[in-house]
Amino acid sequence: MAQELRSINLVAPAFKGINTEDSPLAQDPSFAETADNAVIDKRGRIAARKGHEVTTTNKTALGTAALRAIKTFRDDAGNTKVFSAGNNKIFSGTTTLVDETPVGYTITADNWKMVNFNDRIYMFQRGYEPLVYDNTSAVVEAMSDHTHAAGVATAMYGNEVLAAYGRLWTADFTDNKSTIYWSDLLNGIHWSGGSSGSIDISKVWPNGYDEIVSLAAHNNLLIIFGQHSIVVYEGATSPASMTLSDTVAGVGCVDRDTVQYTGTDVIFLSQTGLRSFGRTIQEKSMPISSLSKTITKDIISLLQNESDFYRSVYSPEENFYLLSFVGQETTYCFDVRGTLEDGSYRVTRWPGSLFTAYETRRDGKLFIGTTDGISEYKGYSDNGVKYRFKYFSPSLTFGDPSRLKILKKIKPTLVGANSATVFMKFAYDFGTSFSTTEFTVGNQQPAFYNVNEFGANSVPLSEFTGGELTNQRSLNAVGNGTSVVVGLESDINGFALSLQEINLLALIGKTL
Amino acid sequence: MIFPTVQPPTATVSSGGGVFQDILGGLGQLGTAVSPALPAIAGSLLTSEAYDRLSDVGRQAEASAMGLAERSLAESQFKPFTVTSTTGGQLGTRVTPSGAVETTMSLSPQEQAMQQQLLGGAGDFFGQAQMPTATREQAIFERMRAAQRPEEQRQRLALEERLAGQGRLGVSSAAYGGATPEQLAMATAQEEGRNRAMLGAMQQAQAEQMQQAGLGQQFLGAGYIPQAQLLGATQPAQRMAELQQQAQLYGTGLFGETAMSGIESKLLAEQARANLLGGIGSNIFAGMFTPQVNQRTGDVTSAGGLGDLGGLFGGVSEGLGTIIRGIGGIFD
Repeated sequence: MAQELRSINLVAPAFKGINTEDSPLAQDPSFAETADNAVIDKRGRIAARKGHEVTTTNKTALGTAALRAIKTFRDDAGNTKVFSAGNNKIFSGTTTLVDETPVGYTITADNWKMVNFNDRIYMFQRGYEPLVYDNTSAVVEAMSDHTHAAGVATAMYGNEVLAAYGRLWTADFTDNKSTIYWSDLLNGIHWSGGSSGSIDISKVWPNGYDEIVSLAAHNNLLIIFGQHSIVVYEGATSPASMTLSDTVAGVGCVDRDTVQYTGTDVIFLSQTGLRSFGRTIQEKSMPISSLSKTITKDIISLLQNESDFYRSVYSPEENFYLLSFVGQETTYCFDVRGTLEDGSYRVTRWPGSLFTAYETRRDGKLFIGTTDGISEYKGYSDNGVKYRFKYFSPSLTFGDPSRLKILKKIKPTLVGANSATVFMKFAYDFGTSFSTTEFTVGNQQPAFYNVNEFGANSVPLSEFTGGELTNQRSLNAVGNGTSVVVGLESDINGFALSLQEINLLALIGKTL
Repeated sequence: MIFPTVQPPTATVSSGGGVFQDILGGLGQLGTAVSPALPAIAGSLLTSEAYDRLSDVGRQAEASAMGLAERSLAESQFKPFTVTSTTGGQLGTRVTPSGAVETTMSLSPQEQAMQQQLLGGAGDFFGQAQMPTATREQAIFERMRAAQRPEEQRQRLALEERLAGQGRLGVSSAAYGGATPEQLAMATAQEEGRNRAMLGAMQQAQAEQMQQAGLGQQFLGAGYIPQAQLLGATQPAQRMAELQQQAQLYGTGLFGETAMSGIESKLLAEQARANLLGGIGSNIFAGMFTPQVNQRTGDVTSAGGLGDLGGLFGGVSEGLGTIIRGIGGIFD
């Protein structure tokens, strides 16, 4: 007697993002083993990420180097100017990168951090005299060259700079890893006199010793991130009187450029993954506070192998926090709209991404720095170059890991992906050799109301579509095994792609 | 101690020459009165005898008075005396060969030792009071600071602990002199304490200087207490000596007055004898009749008249009166 085909419907596969921590057999099918160049789209589906579209047309000054920092200067008068750094230079502009490096100012590294503060933009990098720009002088100049500068000294050439509580704060110096300097009130070029000052927290570290990596301001607190601990001060509006509020041992920050503000939280990369400050403070470094629990080992591996630097950005419009391991050309995308049951963000991976700088603009645009200059996160190609979207499910046992599964049909439902070639893959029993079947998605031009479907001279039809091409295929499958991994790959080259669902039809065989 | 001897005033008769001139004038006046009455030589001799006796009376009176004065002077001389107190101190007086009165005081050995100790202490205190106060100020300041330091250290440690607890041990703010507000406040308070200690040390040093001066004065005063006590102890004896001296002077005065009374009595007796002789001579002239010329008026009285005798007696009487007034002037 022929057995009934059992239907297993993977609705919104990878809805929970990547999970490489739990056993594949025990995983929820909503996780993904792989979700490359993907995001969680507005409907909660896994979808291809956007590409980047290069804005810069003249990058002569940049040469073959990549931009390492992008920041938009903005003052109260409404003046704006986009600054960037790369090729040991400071640039301005987006279409043409104009060299703004001060004359006689030698730069050999591009790890700048730029902040806006009180109608000036400040640029800090360890061991370098800070640079400053305002619309009055209209030139980038060394801070000590500014007419009203005071107290600019080698000791305060910090790597980290924070504009908060009416001051500039700087830390992480070449020879001093435990001191924070703050400027005079509302004056980022006054580092002596007034109410400027410093604090040495070398005796405050909960573990006896640490090094300041980053600073953050949140909820009227000054958060000092060490490599392996966090020190929190309250009352930083009056820094001479601010007092220690809390310390967290065992959790630190890897790099200053991983710290991002989400409005209600501060996200940073620790040695064991992405964490949020609010949760860390509440839970005193409990493991549950990790936001990347599903990829902890992957993160640690990347951390251990990273030899270049880190970049991150928070985009409220895109609802993600991007964390790039620049040296390994890998970016993780954390969806910040919600968390999983264990408190983790849903995460996808963008391998091969050559993104070296980010800047979220006030108009919602996301600037990306690459070797091509300044790009905008938009479209579905990386400046005309396709990229591959991948999805692989965890090992599926259909609820009975001891019995044989004979896969008969694979029915993916895709949204978008006009003219794209889609590769459906499957493998049994944790095998790495996947069987592949491909199909090409049709090219559908969306029809809108009162728009001629067949040219300008045709008769307008009262016919319209939703604007998205939905494609459902039924693919034959072969082979058998106790567990099945299903995957989908497609090159993204101009069109979006979302994976709505995958319906698997299989026969359940004997018990092995 | 030697005091100059007070010499008794020398009795001088400032008008001695005038007296004798009066007497001689009176005698001349007698002679002038007698000369026109030669017949009455006998009477005149008697009168002359009386006159001579009056002169003798004057000389004897003068001699007796001088003798009396010398005796009174001798008997009124100061009598040296010595007083000894119960503690062994002595106050002695003596008259030096030059006539000065010398007073000497001596303390007992114990009193002398005490006096030397006190006076030596006074010297030391005065010496200390004259020393510059800077060194003492520094010493007092150091002692005050030594008393303040433990509490300051405790406060500093407490502040350090508090700042460490607040994670603010490493705060350096330009607005607070490179420290925290609390550190600045504590440093200010401690500096004020130091300043107060410094001012207090200055005041204390000056007070001690005043105290040294006061002690010096007290020791100096106390050093003279044995002497003052000796003088106090000799006060009754000195009073006794004064009483003795007063009694001596009174006795001398009484003796002088008594002796002078005798001289005056003798003078009166001699004067009476002279008057008696003069009366006899007058009686002899009673019968004279030779006109007499009054030398003062130039009036001529007829001879044999009693008027001449009257003029004679008038002239003699006036001459005797002048002599007696002269003698009386000697004893004034």
